[in-house]
Amino acid sequence: MLIINNIVKQYAAHRALDDVSLRVEKGKIFGLLGPNGAGKTSLIRIITQITAPDSGEVIFNGERLNVKHISQIGYLPEERGLYKKMEIGEQVLYLARLKGLSTPEATKRIRYWFEKLDMADWWNKKVEDLSKGMQQKVQFVATVLHKPELIILDEPFSGFDPVNADVIKNEILELNKEGATFIFSTHRMESVEELCDNIALIHKSKKILDGPMAEIKAQYRNNTYWLEYQGEYNFENAREIFEVLENTTTAHKTRLKIKIREHRNANQVLSALLPYVSINRLDEVIPTMNDIFIEKVTQQS
Amino acid sequence: MNKILLIIQREYLSRVKKKSFIVMTLLTPIIIASFYGLIIYFSIEGVKGTHSKVAVVNNNKTLTEQLASTKNISYTYVNQSLEDMKASFKKTDYDYILYLPPFELSEPKGIQLLGTKQAGLSLNGRISGDVENMIRNQKLKASGIAQSDLDGLKTNVDIDNKKIGESGKEEDSSAGASTIIGTVAGILMFMFIMLYGIQVMRGVIEEKTSRIIEIMISSVKPFQLMMGKIVGIALVGLTQFILWIVLTASISTIAVTTLVGKDELKQRTSSMNIKAKDGSTINTPMTSAVDSPVLSMQKSLASLPLTKIILVFIFFFIGGYLFYSALYAAIGSAVDSETETQQFMMPVMMPLLVGYALSLSVVTNDPYGPVAFWLSMIPFTSPIAMVVRLPYGVPDWQLALSMLILVVGFVGTVWLASRIYQVGILMYGKKTSLKEMIKWFAYKN
Repeated sequence: MLIINNIVKQYAAHRALDDVSLRVEKGKIFGLLGPNGAGKTSLIRIITQITAPDSGEVIFNGERLNVKHISQIGYLPEERGLYKKMEIGEQVLYLARLKGLSTPEATKRIRYWFEKLDMADWWNKKVEDLSKGMQQKVQFVATVLHKPELIILDEPFSGFDPVNADVIKNEILELNKEGATFIFSTHRMESVEELCDNIALIHKSKKILDGPMAEIKAQYRNNTYWLEYQGEYNFENAREIFEVLENTTTAHKTRLKIKIREHRNANQVLSALLPYVSINRLDEVIPTMNDIFIEKVTQQS
Repeated sequence: MNKILLIIQREYLSRVKKKSFIVMTLLTPIIIASFYGLIIYFSIEGVKGTHSKVAVVNNNKTLTEQLASTKNISYTYVNQSLEDMKASFKKTDYDYILYLPPFELSEPKGIQLLGTKQAGLSLNGRISGDVENMIRNQKLKASGIAQSDLDGLKTNVDIDNKKIGESGKEEDSSAGASTIIGTVAGILMFMFIMLYGIQVMRGVIEEKTSRIIEIMISSVKPFQLMMGKIVGIALVGLTQFILWIVLTASISTIAVTTLVGKDELKQRTSSMNIKAKDGSTINTPMTSAVDSPVLSMQKSLASLPLTKIILVFIFFFIGGYLFYSALYAAIGSAVDSETETQQFMMPVMMPLLVGYALSLSVVTNDPYGPVAFWLSMIPFTSPIAMVVRLPYGVPDWQLALSMLILVVGFVGTVWLASRIYQVGILMYGKKTSLKEMIKWFAYKN
């Protein structure tokens, strides 16, 4: 649904985006990752038409990105706020009408969302009377109210307590099920793991990694396993098959983190041990997005 | 509805609904009206005037002429020494003692006015005027002019300002009324441009600091947001201006009629007219001198083309406001808080202040001179200078040219400001220099 081709964006002496290309599939949740100042916000501002690229193009649903797409995109910026003196209901209504909704339709949808997110009695409250988390909820509603096809969320969970973060996460998943595509920019890798189908990693203005999250994780497997067994066995005898990285043995169980050596596999570990001990567990340590993120970024710099 | 209309609507309503706006809008006309009412009240009361009794102690044998009492001051010659008078002063009902010591007529020195309270400037002036007259009369008589000739010399001259209009017809005009209307219009213009220009700047800063700006410009173009804000606030200003005119006019009418009473006002007007035509009322020159400003003011107010002045004022308010508010919007976009605005405010404020100061001094003194002409052409100063000049009469071609230049000027500043604005609003936490703002022009957006 969204194809980004060879985007370059230059700010005076600083190149914010250097030949970045991406592809966001319809109905997926796309994670846009990268350390601070990598160029994520610059890219999002180009997609939301806040700024234009110096070169390259953005294709939205087969068309070059243009003004009419504004109403099909919902954007929750990282730097976000509301008019302090305005009432909540009035404010969301104003933002919705700026996206092209009629007053009655917008009012109906605001009531629906306020009901759903447990904010029904907030209509006449002023923004300055709300906590930061409450304001975030209002902003989330304003972002999704006009039923955009593409929803861009920049650090959506910052400021939420765990309960409300969960509420919002479920809403994201529900909207996704109904067909909305998400671009999700964050530093919090655990929420990337939970939500994203595809990711791209931007570092120092360049894209350094992208693809389906499962594939990327598979690429970064490094033959590390958790091994747990009961019984007497000197694992030094199997050092040709694996090396021990960590040993957290207790009185009843031997618990090891092992790395299987090259050209060996898990089966060989099992056949080496089976005659002597009873095995409770042998499972692969899948690298977390956090590990991959840190590895890729430190490797590049 | 069009997005820019929505923005205008929000900017307008959110300000008009504010308590401070309602209070200011209602209170100001009441203050102006009561001020106006007080002036009229006192000028009429002033005719009745304070009356001072002055005891004259004349120790000057050469002075044979005597001071003649006037409406406000009665002179009584006493045959006592100054010391005696001072001693018994509190028991008498005199307000002041005028002491005339011996002096040569060519060099009148040592004249004193004594009293328990200090004489005011105007009383002092009147008495010294009376003494001067007396000495002059005596000198004239010494050179052989008869008393009857002396009386005949006194003439009271009132200059009626008439202006030859475009069609060659005479028009009533009054330098006083023109100055007052021009000055008031100039002050109002300055106030409006400052107040509402700064409101635009505050609005932009508020959007930036509350971080709603990025949400907004993912739905609307920065130019729409800026223009919506500028136009919305302009409408607030116009609303206030029109309400002020309507309210001030109606309240002053009520105030004047209740304070003075309709009959009395009518009576005074008619009796004045008689005096103005009739030369025989010379004996009481003080009366007409106090009365006439108020009445002639009212007369020449009516003779000024007030509708034209108001319409031109509104035009120049809109033009001047657009010109400056665009610059204020650019400043607001470039900073993170109001305290940072100082360095940029100066260059923007200076021309407005200079225009204001020069308009109220040079232009009112010489409304047709080259300084007045150029001030009313340059768009930085023309909104103020032109409304100050207007009551004196401005040739139509100059008015049209000035309007044209102002329109070109504000299109220019709006264009310039919007380029800075669209970059500035997305820059957080960075101190911006003027040099950087100039660089922003090069950005492609």
